[in-house]
Amino acid sequence: MAPAKCCVPGERLCSLEDCAPGHGTYCKHGYIFASLSGYVVKKNDNGMMPVLSIVRDTDSHLLPVIGVTVTCKVMSINARFAKVQIMYIGSTALKTTFRGTIRKEDIRATEKDKVEVYKSFRPGDIVVAKVISLGDAQSNYLLTTAENELGVVVAHSEAGASMVPISWCEMQCPKTHIKEQRKVARVRAEYLQT
Amino acid sequence: MAGLELLSDQGYRVDGRKAGELRKIQARMGVFAQADGSAYIEQGNTKALAVVYGPHEIRGSRSKTLHDRAVVNCQYSMATFSTGERKRRPHGDRKSTEMTLHLKQTFEAAILTQLYPRSQIDIYVQILQADGGNYCTCVNAATLAIIDAGIPMRDYVCACSAGFIEDTPLADLSYVEEAAGGPQLALALLPKSDQIALLEMNSRLHEDHLERVMDAATKACKDVYAVLDQAVKEHLQEVSAMLGDRGMA
Repeated sequence: MAPAKCCVPGERLCSLEDCAPGHGTYCKHGYIFASLSGYVVKKNDNGMMPVLSIVRDTDSHLLPVIGVTVTCKVMSINARFAKVQIMYIGSTALKTTFRGTIRKEDIRATEKDKVEVYKSFRPGDIVVAKVISLGDAQSNYLLTTAENELGVVVAHSEAGASMVPISWCEMQCPKTHIKEQRKVARVRAEYLQT
Repeated sequence: MAGLELLSDQGYRVDGRKAGELRKIQARMGVFAQADGSAYIEQGNTKALAVVYGPHEIRGSRSKTLHDRAVVNCQYSMATFSTGERKRRPHGDRKSTEMTLHLKQTFEAAILTQLYPRSQIDIYVQILQADGGNYCTCVNAATLAIIDAGIPMRDYVCACSAGFIEDTPLADLSYVEEAAGGPQLALALLPKSDQIALLEMNSRLHEDHLERVMDAATKACKDVYAVLDQAVKEHLQEVSAMLGDRGMA
């Protein structure tokens, strides 16, 4: 294959009629322009207009958006919400973490009024959650775990051992056999290492 | 001798340049591994270093958050050893605050900030050696650093100064020419679309001359663009060669 064309910000790539704008491009006056320096890639989707995007050798910046699944670490809890740090978006590690909040009523889908934050999360737990809102002026990203696939995936017991899930709301310490309550995620089969 | 002769009868300037000629520009991108993007540039004896971090979560007071676009945070500083006289330069003095504000305005016009709502992009520039055209050198350095960081921009921002001495517009003033006290204009241009990101002049110049000086500055900005473009393309090839032709996919 011929070497891909390299481009720089501000370069006019093609008319909007020939291609659809993809990552790293913007449109102006009916044309597609590059906004990044990198290589131009034209992708043909079955019968649709080819999508023009720019790939770089280094990863681009990601921000959490509504609807994405994120992996986060619980930093602190109180009676109303748990504060977390978002570390992964999908399967991409973030360079810097973002702060998020899981409110009590977003922890699980049923019997919301009976939820207790401390019976669902503890500081240090690794939680898979979904972004439901970017928050307002006071709050940061709002997350939810109200799905079977969302919740705690890694937790350590008071004895310090990594616990084993035994039901959707309990995990057990392999050392002391003490059961602790968590909102456990049913990790999808494709993510499990076997 | 009645002052320094800034433009000789043969049309040469103090440092031997022609009226529209730039100083030698040398640029290097990706000078720091720590930062998301960085660049070092020399324009004659003016040397500047720029680093870019972000986009990341808003630091400090969260009230700065913009819900539809990213906040561009700039900081301009000069090294203590950058001028002839060694001087401690505290952050936030009037001159550097003004320069910071200008840089912020310039890059808010160029960066596609609406792609990163509720986040922040930090641009830090430092002058290591000052020999005229500090603002312009900083803009050029920051442009390269932003491109290195992979932050989407409408276009390059190229900046260059121009002055007006003895009825002749001069491009890219050096310190000696700036200190002479003639009118001086700083222009930051998006060269592909010919849009002005920032234009500044703080002395009096007759309206009739303005167009000629503007033309000289525009021409100089486009010359700067050619050099920066070259630097970016070289850097791009260097990086992809280092990563083993991943860009060729």
